[in-house]
This record gives sequence, C-alpha cells and structure tokens, in this order.
Amino acid sequence: MRNIMLKEIKLSASPLAFLFIAFGLMFFIPGYPILCGAFFVTLGLFQSFQTAREANDIVFSALLPIAKNDVVKGKYLFVCFIEACALALMTIAAVIRMTALADAPAYRANALMTANPFALGMALVIFGLFNRIFVGGFFKTAYKQGRPFVIYIIVAFLAISAAEALHHFRGLERLNAFGTEHLGLQATLLAAGLLAFALITFLSYRKACRDFERTDL
Amino acid sequence: MSIVEVRHLVKRYPAFELSDASFRVEAGRITGFIGRNGAGKTTTIKSMFNLIHPDGGEIDYFGRPLIGNEKEIKKRIGYSTGTVNWYPRKKIRDIAGIVSRFYDTWDDGAYRKYLALFELNESKAPMELSEGMKVKFNLLLALSHRAEVLILDEPTSGLDPFSRNELLDIFTGLKKEGVAVFFSTHIISDIEKCADDIVYISKGKIVSAMSKTEFAGRFSAAEESLEDTMLRLERGDFNA
Repeated sequence: MRNIMLKEIKLSASPLAFLFIAFGLMFFIPGYPILCGAFFVTLGLFQSFQTAREANDIVFSALLPIAKNDVVKGKYLFVCFIEACALALMTIAAVIRMTALADAPAYRANALMTANPFALGMALVIFGLFNRIFVGGFFKTAYKQGRPFVIYIIVAFLAISAAEALHHFRGLERLNAFGTEHLGLQATLLAAGLLAFALITFLSYRKACRDFERTDL
Repeated sequence: MSIVEVRHLVKRYPAFELSDASFRVEAGRITGFIGRNGAGKTTTIKSMFNLIHPDGGEIDYFGRPLIGNEKEIKKRIGYSTGTVNWYPRKKIRDIAGIVSRFYDTWDDGAYRKYLALFELNESKAPMELSEGMKVKFNLLLALSHRAEVLILDEPTSGLDPFSRNELLDIFTGLKKEGVAVFFSTHIISDIEKCADDIVYISKGKIVSAMSKTEFAGRFSAAEESLEDTMLRLERGDFNA
C-alpha cells in the first residue's frame, strides 16, 4: 500500500492538491463561510483527478502488478490523506479561535458560523460528500469527472448553506458555541461528523471497487 | 511451451464482436498479431491484461488462469503501446523509480543496460520523446523487471522505417534472450521481417494462428509475397 500511495503522490497528483490544503486556514477568516475552505480543498483534489486522467494514470495503475481494488484504494487513501492534512490545519485554527482568540471582537461579532468542533464535523461531512459523490462517481466510468463534480458542487453548497443557517434557528444557537461553551455537545457533533465521514467514505470505496471491477478501460 | 494461451475469447460491443478468439504465444518466439484497423487487435490485447472484461473465454499465462492470479502474472509480463503516453511531464527517472517498487524482480543492471541500448535520457519526460523513443521507454520499463513475455500493442505504428527496423531488431535480440514477444501490427512487412508465428485476425475473428512457414504453405500461392497473400485474404479470396 505504501507503494501505491507513493505512486499517487509522486506521479498522479497535481501540485494544486497539496497547495489547496492551505485553504484549511480559511477557518481563521472572520465573516466568511469557513466551510468553503473544505470545498476549496476538494477543488484541488478535483484538479488532481484531471491531471491524472491526462496522464492515463488509471490504465497505468491497472497494468501494475496489484489488484484492481488497490488502484481504487490508492485513490481513496490519497484523497483521505489530503483531507486529513486540511482537517489538521482547520483544527489548529479552530483551537486557536476557541482559546487564545476566544474573545476577539472580530470573531464575536461574526454573524456566520464560528470555527468550533461542530464546524470541523461539518467539514468532515463535506469531505465525505466529495468522496461519495465525486470520487465514487468517477469510478463508475473511471473517466467521466464533470457530472459527478457538478452534482458534488450543488450538494456541497446546500450542505454549507444548511450548516451556516442552522444556528440561526431557535434552540440551535449552541451549534455556534464560542470558546469552550457546550463542549460536550460540540464534541458529540464532531464525533458524529467523523463517523459520517468514515461511514460514507467506506461505503463509497466498496461501491467504487465493484464499479471499477466492471469497468472496461 | 505455451506462455500465453487464449481460448474462445468473446467480447461483444454494440457495433463490434470479437468472437471465439483462440491462439497461443510460445516461449522464445516472436508472434505477430496482424489485422487491419478495427479488426479486434486492441480488444484482444486489452482482454489479455484484464483491462476489459470478456463476455466469454479463458486466458492463461504460464499454465495458470489470469483471473485469480493477476498480481503474480503481471509481475512476469510486460506491456507496451505505441499510442499511449504515461505521465507525459514526469521524468523517466521518476516514473521508473516508482515502477521499480512494484516488482521484486526489478533489475537495476538491466535498467541501465537498456537505458544505454535505447539511448534514452532519464532526465527527459515522455512528452519530450519522439514516438519511437516512447515505445522504447515502455519497453525499458517492461524489460527492467525481467518480463518473460512482452505484449505490445501497435509498437511500430507511427514510426519511421529506420526506427521500425531498429525496433524489430530489438525484438529479435530479446527473443535470443528467451523473451517471448507478441506484437500487434497492421504493417505486413513487420511480420515478414521478424515474426516466427502469425495470428491473423479479421472482422473480430481469428482467421489463422500458426507459424509463418505453415501460414505461407497454407495460404500463399507460388511466388506470392506475404503482403500479397494478406491483401488477398483480407478481400475474402482464400483460393491461392
């Protein structure tokens, strides 16, 4: 598996996939829908899939002495690796905002979602949606990327809008907790996001393996 | 000994059918797979690598079925094509460095030997190579992991006569080292020059699979060249 990951990083990936990890730092921006940062990270991954297609990466990988499932596994591992790096940056930003900058006026006066564990959980949901809709959709043909990406954009922005809107509803204000307020609820929401990400990604991976096995390259 | 055995291979597309294709590739021999454009050569070769899924038939390598032994078999075979460009902007050195990790049979000595023989500069990227050099680059990867059989899809297409000749000489050299070579082509003179066996495909059907000598004995009229024989057969005239 180490070899297939190295192949993904050194041959298949676009440099943009790595550069766009930095969008995780958008969690620092006040008055901005911070979950767009998660979307931009996946935009880099989309570019990486395009670069790989131009390089005939899938056929090249299928010719290597590995199981076809490993070709799919390599792509999912790479995508999850980039998402994990971005999540690490988002987590650093969220922790700083929750501690050292907890009372910063720019963040307190922010009408939009604040960076807290719920936001991190939602970023994981966005990543899960990308893995299911785009990566899974790509492996239906191992070629077509436009349609799954357009569907993903629509669904991702609906999810971002919903996440941004929720805390404005009566009774859901605690979703937008500042500092260490409602930490129990916030931790639960983060765990739920992580579970959703893991489940969606795993189910998508299994389906992609089945689809890829049936695909004529 | 048969290194590759294809039995009753069937693949159906809406507008084309590869039907009941059977043939063998023998150790230490060069087999030319000839047919006109669209005859089914690439479909057959892709099936031989499980890149497409046949609707019927079996493919064995080294006496074992491809399905179920794909990983082990792929370590012992090499693929090259004249038409596909892998990672056009990456350096040959970097591509080879990654590929080598997948093969416990990778031989750095062989890599250096063929790099020099093919006059390839490993600091170059595939996009900087001519068509002939691209084929050689693909061959370099296959030969560096000590492939026992090379399956090559149209390796001579698009090459100038000098590069084609050079490549066919390389095939003959590899044969002497015990490597089986199976290559598809629509250029009859390629077969005439170096093939020991001929697999002839037309409209999705294998018309014949035999040695070049047998082929000439069965299909060619007296004094008729292989090229004239093939052209006549392709017109549907089987009476020499």
